Amino acid sequence: MLKDIQLSLTNNEIRLVRKMLGREPNQLEWAMIDTEWSEHTSYKSSKKVLKLLPTKGRYVVIGPGYDSGVIDVGNDYIITLHIESHNHPSAIDPYGGAATGIGGVLRDIICMGTKPIALIDPLRFGMINKSDHSKWLFINVVRGIADYGNCVGVPTVAGEVEFDESFERNCLVDVACIGIGLKKHLILAEARYPNDLLILAGGSTGRDGIHGVTFASKVLSEKSDEERSAVQVPDPFMKKLIIDATLEIVETGYVRGLKDLGGGGLTCSLSEIAAKGGCGVEIHLEKVNLREPDMSPIEIMLSESQERMLFVVKKEGLEKISKIFEKYDIPYSIIGKVTDDGYLTVKMRGEVLARLPAKMVANAPIMHKKSRKPEYIELYKNIKPPEEPKNLDEVFLKLLSSPNLCSREWIYRQYDHEVGIRTIIKPGQADAAVLKIPNEKFLAVTSDGNSKHCYLDPYYGAAGCMAEACRNIIAVGGKPIAMVDHCQFGDPNKVDVYWTFVEAVRGMADYCKALHIPCVGGKVSFYNEDTVTNSAIKPSPVVMVVGLINNAKYITDMSLKMVNDAIMMIGLTKPEMGGSEYYEYIHNLIGGIVPKVDFQFEKRLHKLMDKIIKKRLAKAIHDCSKGGFAIGLVEMCFPNNLGVEVDCSKIPSINCRLDELLFSETHGRFIIEVSKDNVEDIMELASKMNIECNVIGRVCGNRFKLKMNDHDIFNFSIKELKNIWSQALPKYLGEI
Amino acid sequence: MKEKFLVYVTIEGKPMARDPEGETIHRVLLAKSRYNMVKSVRVAKLLKMIVEAESEDEAERIVTELCDNLRLYNPAAHKCSIKVNGRIK
Repeated sequence: MLKDIQLSLTNNEIRLVRKMLGREPNQLEWAMIDTEWSEHTSYKSSKKVLKLLPTKGRYVVIGPGYDSGVIDVGNDYIITLHIESHNHPSAIDPYGGAATGIGGVLRDIICMGTKPIALIDPLRFGMINKSDHSKWLFINVVRGIADYGNCVGVPTVAGEVEFDESFERNCLVDVACIGIGLKKHLILAEARYPNDLLILAGGSTGRDGIHGVTFASKVLSEKSDEERSAVQVPDPFMKKLIIDATLEIVETGYVRGLKDLGGGGLTCSLSEIAAKGGCGVEIHLEKVNLREPDMSPIEIMLSESQERMLFVVKKEGLEKISKIFEKYDIPYSIIGKVTDDGYLTVKMRGEVLARLPAKMVANAPIMHKKSRKPEYIELYKNIKPPEEPKNLDEVFLKLLSSPNLCSREWIYRQYDHEVGIRTIIKPGQADAAVLKIPNEKFLAVTSDGNSKHCYLDPYYGAAGCMAEACRNIIAVGGKPIAMVDHCQFGDPNKVDVYWTFVEAVRGMADYCKALHIPCVGGKVSFYNEDTVTNSAIKPSPVVMVVGLINNAKYITDMSLKMVNDAIMMIGLTKPEMGGSEYYEYIHNLIGGIVPKVDFQFEKRLHKLMDKIIKKRLAKAIHDCSKGGFAIGLVEMCFPNNLGVEVDCSKIPSINCRLDELLFSETHGRFIIEVSKDNVEDIMELASKMNIECNVIGRVCGNRFKLKMNDHDIFNFSIKELKNIWSQALPKYLGEI
Repeated sequence: MKEKFLVYVTIEGKPMARDPEGETIHRVLLAKSRYNMVKSVRVAKLLKMIVEAESEDEAERIVTELCDNLRLYNPAAHKCSIKVNGRIK
């Protein structure tokens, strides 16, 4: 029970509220402002920095600031995309936390009037090969995603996982969603027309998740296990009904605004639709469909009960809309109306309980934070490289089974990635998923993050996430057209942490500006640290990039296809080993130079790859990233059990030792399979663009043979390697 | 002398949490039938364990301990109650 509320507002904010209102707010009003001005809903510490990201572009319909970003994919169709996280709830209840996270991001897609068609889940945990706690979190998060996604009928098509000790107590559970719809049905979360009705539909309002937002804006403490009301219960079958009913209602043309209820509950949704639409709203709490009879007004206004949607509708449409709700057996009630006074007015049986300017509630004052470069950055940069190992066989096998590089099949085989029959390229087949969309085009989707790189160099680490995500899109034949980002950091009040945040955003922004990829939305999650160890997670910006493929014949996967085809390497390998899996997992070494991103080179590389794809010169394309060249190449061998013979001396490189050549994570590189007739064309195109490129070997047999001039490096059977790679994850989890 | 006891472990959502499964059973089956005097349904998971122990108290203590230690339930989301339900011959 909330008897005495504890405000998390700062003293300055409390003074400002009193000054803006010219009076002392009552308890309900304080609670509403407190929730809406929390970091989680207001972005008060991050807004200024996020402005660095470019948000305009030829495909952009709606940029950041709404529930999802909207891009135009032609022929009257739009795509909506959004990314969110449910880190804190998942840390205490991994199953329910992950499932309700999906529920949340689905609502962000539905409330634009679009149909969710794909889920993407980037995840981060502690080392599952060492910690039982992380294992428990990991298993249950994946199960939560699978159960919710599979029940609600939206395929989970892509994702990525990273394991690092810094996530031991704060796992990161990101959920992203893609929606599709007709442009004419696009609806915004705005209340623009006075006297329109407000309908609250879906689940009933209960005490679960009260103050969840303020909870997310707090550092996790030992007491979190006790904060029980912050855990919500997922209900995918109700969500499925809401998706179908909402889309049917949107088609009636009577809906003028639509907003989901997530963090901050009614307070957040009402103040935001009123502030965005330039109107006011008036609601009657006795009309809200309650689960428990004795809830206080504060509890009703802050409840974050799941599966609720707020519709703003024309009066004339009420009858038709009610019928649709009744058909789907979805509870709904008319809780109030849009007004012209700009106020958020809360009434109970006629009595005014709260009356606040909507714009004031919705727009928290921006906070200016100090930042300072952490000392460790320079310290780690100049570490001595480890000695070159004598036995590279052992190193390679160990890397292949490292939690960060081994097969993800254990995860995605639990997900239904087919439902909806749009998934053309499925998990594990290529660097990105490819979906068929109704306008005869195809959408490529991928997500990326690299906290090890971002820890050592947040600028190039974050730019690198973008670079890799774009390479993933290109590798399946797509052209990157938009991105959403999710910035996950520790406590922004710590100057060191804030510096890493600013640098990471700068890195992403510079990449996006150079390559003309607009950011259409995103999310910030701070306070990912715990008070027991007093440590923050490694900086973890995660990006989701979508790309467009105009023609089915451009779609490419990463599997080697035919014996005697040439294997070519595009791009230059450099000894950039900082944050590499090789340094961290093999040598237990944190430090070194993180791979840099050369923006001008990236532009040329994208052009070159575009030409190779359009001329259909490559049969398989795979980007080189985590684990480096050797891991990238062997992943191409696995699908069809085809072997390779490669001479590593042919790999374009500068100043690389053999181990660096094999395991450096330098950006801007692709491995491609090419039929012999097309080799010359590619060499010519590459030299025209001034990009290093060479034939390094050929497809043959079923062994993984690498040599350096005449000296053999590796000679393994593909089957043996595949076994090690694919059994690693089930082994860590104790299933084999 | 050790005896065998039947111990019931009930794992259910916290009282304040929603229970979509119970709600569905209630809404679809009961509230719309002539059994509309049933006002609420909640679904729980019941584990029946046969435990060797010296006494009822010891059996209950062992099961309580194992539920907590092995995380048979998540204290953040569930309520777990343990009851000894007689001896097994």
